[in-house]
Amino acid sequence: MTTLQAALSGALVGGMFAVMAAGLSLTWGMLRVINLAHFGLILVGAYLTFELATSWGIDPILTIVLTVPLMFLVGAGLQWAFDRLGVEEFASLLVSFGLLIIVMQTVSNVWSADFQRMPGDVNPYATQSVSLGRFVFPAPTLIAFVFAVVIVVTADQVLRRTFAGRALRAFAEDRAVASAFGIDHRRLGMVLAGLSAASAAVAGMLFALGNAVTPSTPFEWIGVVFAVVILGGIGQVGGVLLAGVLVGTLSAVVSATWSPALSPLVLFSAIILALLFRPYGLLTVRGAR
Amino acid sequence: MLEVRDLEAWYLQAQALWGVDLSVADGEVVCLVGPNGAGKSTLVKAIAGLHRSTRGTIAVDGVDVARVAAHRVGDHGVALVPEGRRVFARMSVHDNLVLGAYRRGARSGLDAGLARVHELFPRLAERSAQLAGSLSGGEQQMLAIGRALLAQPRLLLMDEPSLGLAPVVVDEVFDAIRTINADGVSVLLVEQDVERALEVSARGYVLAEGRIVASGSAAELTGSALVRRSVLGL
Ligand SMILES: Nc1ncnc2c1ncn2[C@@H]1O[C@H](COP(=O)(O)OP(=O)(O)OP(=O)(O)O)[C@@H](O)[C@H]1O
Repeated sequence: MTTLQAALSGALVGGMFAVMAAGLSLTWGMLRVINLAHFGLILVGAYLTFELATSWGIDPILTIVLTVPLMFLVGAGLQWAFDRLGVEEFASLLVSFGLLIIVMQTVSNVWSADFQRMPGDVNPYATQSVSLGRFVFPAPTLIAFVFAVVIVVTADQVLRRTFAGRALRAFAEDRAVASAFGIDHRRLGMVLAGLSAASAAVAGMLFALGNAVTPSTPFEWIGVVFAVVILGGIGQVGGVLLAGVLVGTLSAVVSATWSPALSPLVLFSAIILALLFRPYGLLTVRGAR
Repeated sequence: MLEVRDLEAWYLQAQALWGVDLSVADGEVVCLVGPNGAGKSTLVKAIAGLHRSTRGTIAVDGVDVARVAAHRVGDHGVALVPEGRRVFARMSVHDNLVLGAYRRGARSGLDAGLARVHELFPRLAERSAQLAGSLSGGEQQMLAIGRALLAQPRLLLMDEPSLGLAPVVVDEVFDAIRTINADGVSVLLVEQDVERALEVSARGYVLAEGRIVASGSAAELTGSALVRRSVLGL
């Protein structure tokens, strides 16, 4: 019973990892940018939600009405700069790591290095829980999971069914031929990076809803989120949700039945094992890549 | 339709084309032949906007497409069937074709275009949902041609469409070229198979070491000793 409860809660927590990972996976797969600054954007998203909710009294979930458009512009601008400067895949790792550090330092200067948590009166969701049958789930993780499903399903459908989605997939495979068919990589890249950053704003809000943040919190995300991206298959947005749920479930079960301290060890051993059998991610069939 | 004037092309310091003049009239099939490494692909890529390190003019109906953004060249009526097919392997056959109609001017013709391509290559209709990477070489070539047709070109650039295909499939590809041309599309055809190429073409050019060394009607080139020497190495 408690193990099952832990497993289900873990699966829901995996939804938040999926939201964090979705944008990272898409920009990596489609634009060949490994954007560590994505974690900085999530952090800023979390702090903006905190600030808008505590100082302005806006409902924390509704803060995304402001943070999403703002982050879209930041993400598009960053991609414009990456493109102009001709930053390659692995150089992007280094450059964006530098950006992440700058963002973390700036956040620390603005909001101090202390933990910040939205008080109960501005964040009614933190203390609520929802019971489904015999199981009880904290509202923030349930909300995160709903957002994860909506974001992943929408992104997946857009990639499958729209001209822009097909253009992105084509561009990811063969840039030169894609451009011969009218695909403007600059514009499309900026739109994708903007949407990815917008999803970071949502991820930040979801994190702030259930947790306290400090400027160094991104270091807690990087390992798990990268695991979710790689396990899900780079650039495969559907895989991100599946991998997020698996990773969330596994770490919660290990924590509950064994020891929270062992959870990362077991988790990453399992991920390495999984990648030995499925080097391109859980959903990628050999040869299709 | 196409008027290439005094075209030079480079790969960094290395020059690949020298003073190339070439034209394709409306509704004409013109072939471009020459030995390996002559610069045929470079010329085709330059026209399609994929090779930008050039000097000279590439006029398509009077517009110099060498000065047009690469992704806008299609808007001037040019579509490419690239060397080695280069279909989008991880996308379905259907999605590859739809992508062909990506440019704004071609989208309204998507349904009619799909119907036309399926008529031309019924096998693509059967394999619509399959990943392009799982097709045979011949089917991939048909897909590459179909994808280009969906861009609604007035000038189709075809780079070695018969390369590595079984003889029956080569027949199909050349039949398709005739049909496409009968629909009013001009074709610039790069081919290793000189005899077949001259059969479908009105005129031809011989490119060797980056220069046009001969040109003329298909009949003239068919009998030409120079063509044999420079292309077939006889
Ligand atoms: N990416 C490249 N970088 C440097 N040089 C290149 C590149 N591509 C082609 N070249 C050179 O440019 C010249 C023309 O090559 P191109 O591919 O246009 O010839 P081709 O006639 O199409 O030959 P093939 O039939 O083998 O494709 C060759 O000397 C080739 O070595």
